[in-house]
Amino acid sequence: MLLPKFDFHEPTTIEEACQIMAELGQKAKLIAGGTDLIVNMKRKVLSPEHLVSLSRIDALKNVDLSDGPLRIGACVTAAALAESEGIKRTFSAFSKGASVLGTPLIRNLATIAGNLVSARPAADLPPSLMAYGAKVVLKKSAGERSVALEDFFRGPGQTVVGKDEILTEILIDKPLGYTGAGYIKLGVRKTLEISLVNVAAFISLDSQDGSIQRARIVLGAVAPIPIRVPSAEQILVGEKPTETLFVRAGETAAQDSRPIDDFRGSAEYRRDMIEVLTRRALEMAFNEARSHE
Amino acid sequence: MKRLITLTVNDKKYEVAVEPNMTLVDLLRYELGLTGTKKGCEVGDCGSCTVIMDGNPVNSCLVLAVQANGRDILTIEGLETDEGLHPVQQAFVDKGAIQCGFCTSGMILSAKNLLDRNAKPDEAEVRMAISGNLCRCTGYQKIVEAIKSASGWREGSGKSHE
Repeated sequence: MLLPKFDFHEPTTIEEACQIMAELGQKAKLIAGGTDLIVNMKRKVLSPEHLVSLSRIDALKNVDLSDGPLRIGACVTAAALAESEGIKRTFSAFSKGASVLGTPLIRNLATIAGNLVSARPAADLPPSLMAYGAKVVLKKSAGERSVALEDFFRGPGQTVVGKDEILTEILIDKPLGYTGAGYIKLGVRKTLEISLVNVAAFISLDSQDGSIQRARIVLGAVAPIPIRVPSAEQILVGEKPTETLFVRAGETAAQDSRPIDDFRGSAEYRRDMIEVLTRRALEMAFNEARSHE
Repeated sequence: MKRLITLTVNDKKYEVAVEPNMTLVDLLRYELGLTGTKKGCEVGDCGSCTVIMDGNPVNSCLVLAVQANGRDILTIEGLETDEGLHPVQQAFVDKGAIQCGFCTSGMILSAKNLLDRNAKPDEAEVRMAISGNLCRCTGYQKIVEAIKSASGWREGSGKSHE
């Protein structure tokens, strides 16, 4: 399988990369891990005239766990995210998502920004990142903006990233005390699997045995983009967490979702799974919230 | 336009001119003659093109040769030493973990990488480590047995402990 011909650019700074993208615009594609792009190019789905590699920009490879929000550079690999003890401790659901992406070989190449900009409906990183309220930084020569991940996706393969913009960083505010999250990926295999349904839940309690202050539920693979389910979240807020409450939230999430039939599974099956997995993800989030002071 | 790149493959330095659209697996096989690395699906699903790049196993069909500029690559040809086969290779032979052989290079490199990081993996860890490498012959059982028998080789004399 031959790759179409292209010119290759290898900037070493973000500024240089922005300049190249400003000049080339539509004609260029950014490449980081390449696990999605190269496959699409081999299949002739895409044949950009130019590839601009981000792999030589060291500034995009940092994970900053010190003060302030967690900052993750665009080119940090899924393997590095999954192996980070700091991320596992504070953002367990995100760590889980990174650890089940693709295969061990893919995880050594695939990057966090690639998993976001490729905008696949069943991608493993967006649900938990949205549940944690993550933001992304988009840079271009003329300046930068930050966008909530919730407002980032437009459709399968479509995002708000402009032709001359580069996603450089992902920011997640560190959760305060008594918060927790869970992520569940449902597939028929344990690896190299595109989810039938994936669910992330985030809960914050007002005290160890208190009521739910904030809740976010994000469903993947059941709509063109990962979606939040406000109706189910509203059921939770202000209430004491109980099994019955989580069951009701699961039922509501299932009712308000619109999954489709395809060769991986029927809409009916997916809706049933949303009910079960939402409840389980909420239980995971709650158990973590109780123990996270 | 071709670009000049330098890379280290199995401890040997190479300087090669490559087209930007050449993949690392094609560079290894067609330019350097290292045909131990196999080409299967070519889209990152099967793992037969596995090589270890800067200490991490990757699908070399998804890496551009130009992206391997300056990197350190280990292929299956780099495992055998004057003392003989690498303990993981020997264990595959001893345990009958090879049938057609097409997945073997990738399997062995994924297994070696696991044992370098975790000398005594449990079965779940072994199966996870090779989960990006597909085998259509063996049913995986003998491969898993071979990797388990090779674990702990660092403590021994450099040979798999049978």
